Amino acid sequence: MSKKVLVVDDDQDVRSFVVTVLEENQYIPLVAQDGIEGFEMIEKEKPDLVILDVLMPRGSGIRLYRKLKTDENLNQIPIIMFTGIALRSFLKSQKALDEFKGGEIPMPDIYLEKPVGPEELVAAIKKKIG
Amino acid sequence: MEIRKLLFVTKFEGLCYDALNSLLKLRYASLEHVVFLNVIERDKVAMQRGSGYLKEEEVKLKETANIRFIDWAENLFELGLEVGAYMEVSTFIPEILKVVEKESPDLIVIGHSHKGALKQLYAGSDVTELMRRTEVPILVFKHMMEDKIVPEKIFDRPLFATNWSGTAKKTIEYIKALKNVIGEIHIIHVVKDSVLKSSDTHEVQKVRKIERKRLDDLCDELEEAGIKARPHVYVGDPQKEIEKAAKEYQASMIILGSSDKAAILERWVGSISKNIADKSLFPCLLIPGKKDI
Repeated sequence: MSKKVLVVDDDQDVRSFVVTVLEENQYIPLVAQDGIEGFEMIEKEKPDLVILDVLMPRGSGIRLYRKLKTDENLNQIPIIMFTGIALRSFLKSQKALDEFKGGEIPMPDIYLEKPVGPEELVAAIKKKIG
Repeated sequence: MEIRKLLFVTKFEGLCYDALNSLLKLRYASLEHVVFLNVIERDKVAMQRGSGYLKEEEVKLKETANIRFIDWAENLFELGLEVGAYMEVSTFIPEILKVVEKESPDLIVIGHSHKGALKQLYAGSDVTELMRRTEVPILVFKHMMEDKIVPEKIFDRPLFATNWSGTAKKTIEYIKALKNVIGEIHIIHVVKDSVLKSSDTHEVQKVRKIERKRLDDLCDELEEAGIKARPHVYVGDPQKEIEKAAKEYQASMIILGSSDKAAILERWVGSISKNIADKSLFPCLLIPGKKDI
């Protein structure tokens, strides 16, 4: 059975790009345009993988990432971060939030800095869910 | 009443990262989330004879804004702040209001208006228009010096001008929520010339004494809340005296409750708060008075 992949990104061009890549590789694409809509979709659809942007209006990817990783029912869903934000800044933000809010959140499975070509994206998806 | 979420509206002209940086002390109050908004005015990409809608220009402007926001966001993420961004081709004030509705910020930060005098007379300044249409507090950011250097510690030494109105009372509650970021606050009440028309010196001194007592009580209230406060009574035209006091005490910003005047009256006569917000050299924090904050 085809696997469901949710892309959460506020940029319509990026969503279209990822959806095309997913469809061409026989995945079922789901889309959300911000962190809040993304979380609702994840709870409802339980996707096999989430491709997550960081800088978005309404809940950012950082908030959604932490929310998923601290949710017992959802923390096993693999996440590919797909963003223009440098990994270094993302790691620092997690460290700051770990200190500020307590607890330690595991790092993302895969971190892709935009722009990324279709081959690299597909390879990352296949690595996580086959 | 705490400032958890801040909407930072920038055209990348006056209001840039240095201004944002000066607001990050709010992290010690309760700031958790910063939302950036860049409104690309329609006329920059509008339909033109022979070239149609300038789609390429829109993409270029949005990408330029995006790159700036990514850079700013990385700095804020590293502080553990939540960050969001909007880049929209739209009309300035309606777009701000749209984002306010989506994001429910506790404070809007904008630069001062660039509209010409005539346009301001008929349409009002951006600040005036925004104040009329939102109940969210607004910080009007100014570069206080000619060399455009941003005051680093904007909350360090604010000046609060009170007229003892209901809005002023609400403003005091807002100030209390900033106790972890305010260094020392100067509180001023301006007695209008007309109140001092009596030729009896005793009467004049009596007015001063009454106002000073009210200010002392307010300072005690703020000090009890953990904010160092100093009272000042001034006499004369409120707009001029507030500006004068801000200079004398080297205020880092002016805090005001906004007027409850009817919009039409305000447009033609103006209100002290809006006039100061538009014309003062100092950054102005304007607290609306219509509803509970």
